[in-house]
Amino acid sequence: MDRSPLGTPSVSRRKGLFVPTVGLVVALVAGACSAGGSVAPSTSSPLPVSPSPVVATPSPSPSPSPQATQPAFPLTITDDEGTSVTIPHAPSRIVSLTPASTEEIYALGEGSLLVGDTDSDDYPAAAKTLPHVATYQGVVMEKLVAAQPDLVIAGGDGFTHPADVTHMRSLGIPVVVIYAPTVPAVLADLRLVGEAVGQLPAATAMTEAMQTRMDAIASLAKAEPTHPSVFYEIGVGPDIYAPAKDSFVADMVTLAGGTPITTGDPNSYTIALEKLVLADPQVIVLGDYDYGTAVADVLKRPGWEHLTAVVDGAVRPVDDTIVTRPGPRLADGLAALALAIDPGLVLPADLLPPATPAPSPS
Amino acid sequence: MRAGVAPGIPALSRRVRASTPRWRRPTTVAGVGLAALAIALVVGLAFGSVSIPLGDTVAILAHRLLGWPVAVTWPASSETIVLELRLPRVLMAMLAGGGLAVAGATMQGVLRNPLADPYVLGTASGAALGASLAVLVPLPLGLLGLGFGQLLAFIGAVVAVALVWRLSRASRLGSLTGLLLTGYAVGSLLAAGLSMAMVLSGAQLRQIVYFLLGSLATATWQQVAVAAPLIIVGVVVLAWRARALDALMLGDETAAHLGLAVARERVILLAFAALVTAAAVATCGLIGFVGLVVPHMVRLVVGPAARPLLPLAAIFGAAFLAFADLLARLPGELPVGIVTAVIGAPFFLLILRHVRTGYEL
Amino acid sequence: MSELRLVDVALAYGSRMALAGLDLTVASGERVAVLGPNGAGKSSLLRCATGVMPVSRGTVMLDGVPLAELGREAIARRIAVVPQQVDLPFAIRVEEVVALGRIPHERSFRGPTPLDREIVDEAIHRVGLDAFVGRDARELSLGERQLVLIAMAVAQQARLLLLDEPTVHLDLRHQVQVMDLLADLNDREGLTILAVLHDLALAAHYFPRALLLDGGRLVADGPPAQVLAPERVQATFGVDAAVWMGGARPGV
Repeated sequence: MDRSPLGTPSVSRRKGLFVPTVGLVVALVAGACSAGGSVAPSTSSPLPVSPSPVVATPSPSPSPSPQATQPAFPLTITDDEGTSVTIPHAPSRIVSLTPASTEEIYALGEGSLLVGDTDSDDYPAAAKTLPHVATYQGVVMEKLVAAQPDLVIAGGDGFTHPADVTHMRSLGIPVVVIYAPTVPAVLADLRLVGEAVGQLPAATAMTEAMQTRMDAIASLAKAEPTHPSVFYEIGVGPDIYAPAKDSFVADMVTLAGGTPITTGDPNSYTIALEKLVLADPQVIVLGDYDYGTAVADVLKRPGWEHLTAVVDGAVRPVDDTIVTRPGPRLADGLAALALAIDPGLVLPADLLPPATPAPSPS
Repeated sequence: MRAGVAPGIPALSRRVRASTPRWRRPTTVAGVGLAALAIALVVGLAFGSVSIPLGDTVAILAHRLLGWPVAVTWPASSETIVLELRLPRVLMAMLAGGGLAVAGATMQGVLRNPLADPYVLGTASGAALGASLAVLVPLPLGLLGLGFGQLLAFIGAVVAVALVWRLSRASRLGSLTGLLLTGYAVGSLLAAGLSMAMVLSGAQLRQIVYFLLGSLATATWQQVAVAAPLIIVGVVVLAWRARALDALMLGDETAAHLGLAVARERVILLAFAALVTAAAVATCGLIGFVGLVVPHMVRLVVGPAARPLLPLAAIFGAAFLAFADLLARLPGELPVGIVTAVIGAPFFLLILRHVRTGYEL
Repeated sequence: MSELRLVDVALAYGSRMALAGLDLTVASGERVAVLGPNGAGKSSLLRCATGVMPVSRGTVMLDGVPLAELGREAIARRIAVVPQQVDLPFAIRVEEVVALGRIPHERSFRGPTPLDREIVDEAIHRVGLDAFVGRDARELSLGERQLVLIAMAVAQQARLLLLDEPTVHLDLRHQVQVMDLLADLNDREGLTILAVLHDLALAAHYFPRALLLDGGRLVADGPPAQVLAPERVQATFGVDAAVWMGGARPGV
């Protein structure tokens, strides 16, 4: 699929590829279903809008389901924290406080409406030139107010300081807090943000396409004969940071055809080396490749030399921002992850991720 | 003994007072402090992360606060920034700084210990534990504009001091030693609870750390409205009881012999110091250094007598924190506790080295 | 004016009887020494006399009025206590310490009046500390500090002065200076003085009346020659010693 640097394939282009994709999926899943497999990840809740791959019949141009019509403004939506947020008119000055929602707004073609983001928003390139109204420390309230936003998208679970969210709301700014702990929740959030900015149909189409792609990739990965144990390395030093049990990353690994090694506890993000050795991953995926960890570094780590993955040389880098970022590139992320887990996996051209990262980290 | 100066002997203290350089007399010092406060207010409103032309700032204040008919030439965002972000923040800094300085001076006087600060009887640990519990179990409860975390921090601070007070009564040691050691023990226990909460907090750890470092970034008018009466009333009561603080300087027995109801006064002083500290900590987090150092700096100039010390500590504490907050704001929101330590400590060391006022520590 | 009277006063610390039934009267203008071995109850006597320590039995009366009926501040205006020594946690000037003596007379918000300041000045002069004004009290020697505390009591304008071992730790010169001062205050201003002393010779020389306490009881009351007769000293202190009484200067 052709991707411009801004990552904004038009809706019509997506629609053009929709039919063959659906057809392919149906064919493949029909085969997979006979083996009794399911493409849904274990902890997901069923998506409200996506057509079930098992029973869908290909139609030339499916009309948007009723929920995909953009409701009129003023609009009241319930954000992921259960807060009712009223957006008085279609936003024209948006501040995005999470990298994922920044990507999405550009993906929906509304990048010109962005007046501020955080200093860690790095995709697309234009996002880096936006005024940065928040840092890791928190929102710089004066800069946010100076940008005069009429909508702010914030990150839940503490990503954006709750005190900052309260502060912004007390100044009369509509703030929608999003938090996606599971893969289906990511798609739901993309639609929520789409609705908030007045682009629900486009967002729905985007998530439907993503769902289709991800289902396709998942079923291909599922169809592989082996599902190796995978350690997705989030970071090392001094503790080993691994996916928590039932976490989003663990979900992604499962969908990508691996058996995730987790910390064993939904609230813990670190794993002891001994536990990792006991789990003995067959594949190590380097989510921290872009932050300076090279494959060679892993091979040299004391205590790691006997892990099957190290012995077999199955230590592969991946672009963390597409795998773990709950944004529009998640399908690319799934594909990249699947290929990192099993380089022998054959994905059709339209399911391939963008070019793999260069050998030396940036 | 008849009152009145013996003939031919000039009043000695008057001679000493006359020989005290003008700059060290309480009224002069107060004047300097108030000037510093005024400058802090102006500068705090004029500067921030976003640059607003000074003319606009003055016009906004004149138009909105004083009601002068000025043509509105500035964007609404500038008005929001000056009136809704900077003004409450500067006022909050002054309230917290003044309150902490007075509470610190009171603690030092009651406990007769130059190293005492407002947090010494468990207030800090109690507040921190309260705030961290709110992070662990975030209930959407609030009261009067204070969030759940701030409410629990306030309650935590007050409960901690009450607990220390209650437990120290059972101590067989001398009352002050018992109080200090109980404060230390209870504080340590609460700190252990805090550490546990930090371990359990996982991804929310950042919020707890933020509280521990102190910040004025989220000061709103509602918070000022809640904190101001508590802090102002507390400071006034403490200044009113200055006499008691002086009497306690020579010890409990001497204070009793000077007519002080020692036990009752101690309760009043500690209670109001704790109240002021709790209000400051609940709204601004743990800001260190102000309560310990500002009283000493004022003492170096005007001496330990509580009647000039407490009001001057309030004024200089307010100015100090307002300036510190401005410095914290400019590079992009450093926690203010870091700034107070970084400016305060070297400044204090410098003073200790060079000043000879007759009040050296 | 400042008559202190104890009627059947007993004081218990837990199970220990610090004072066991004391009856004594100190008339206005007297100069009395309180003597006795350690643990005899001398300090307890002082504490009861000011009302700081409530008695377990009996009454303490000041000018015929029981202490319990007088307010703490009223008592402080009539009785001044010179402590043995004080810890000064903060730097404080001599005149500021003396000024603390005015606290029983001050109102909460108003602060020291010019009259208060004059009284402080005069107290400093009376005690002979003119040269020390403006200095940090912590830098003074123990003897000088004791004089400061006496000045503080003088500034309190109380008619009855209680002193708790004022000469302990002092060098000889300051011991004499303090004793001379007390005698002077008693002679010229007519202040009533009740001083707990450990130095029998000083007591014998400077005080016309001595109270001897032992085990919480008053075992002797009268002129030092009588109270400190050798058998008395032997019985109470367990030491075979004779206290030198005669001469213009105290024996060492």
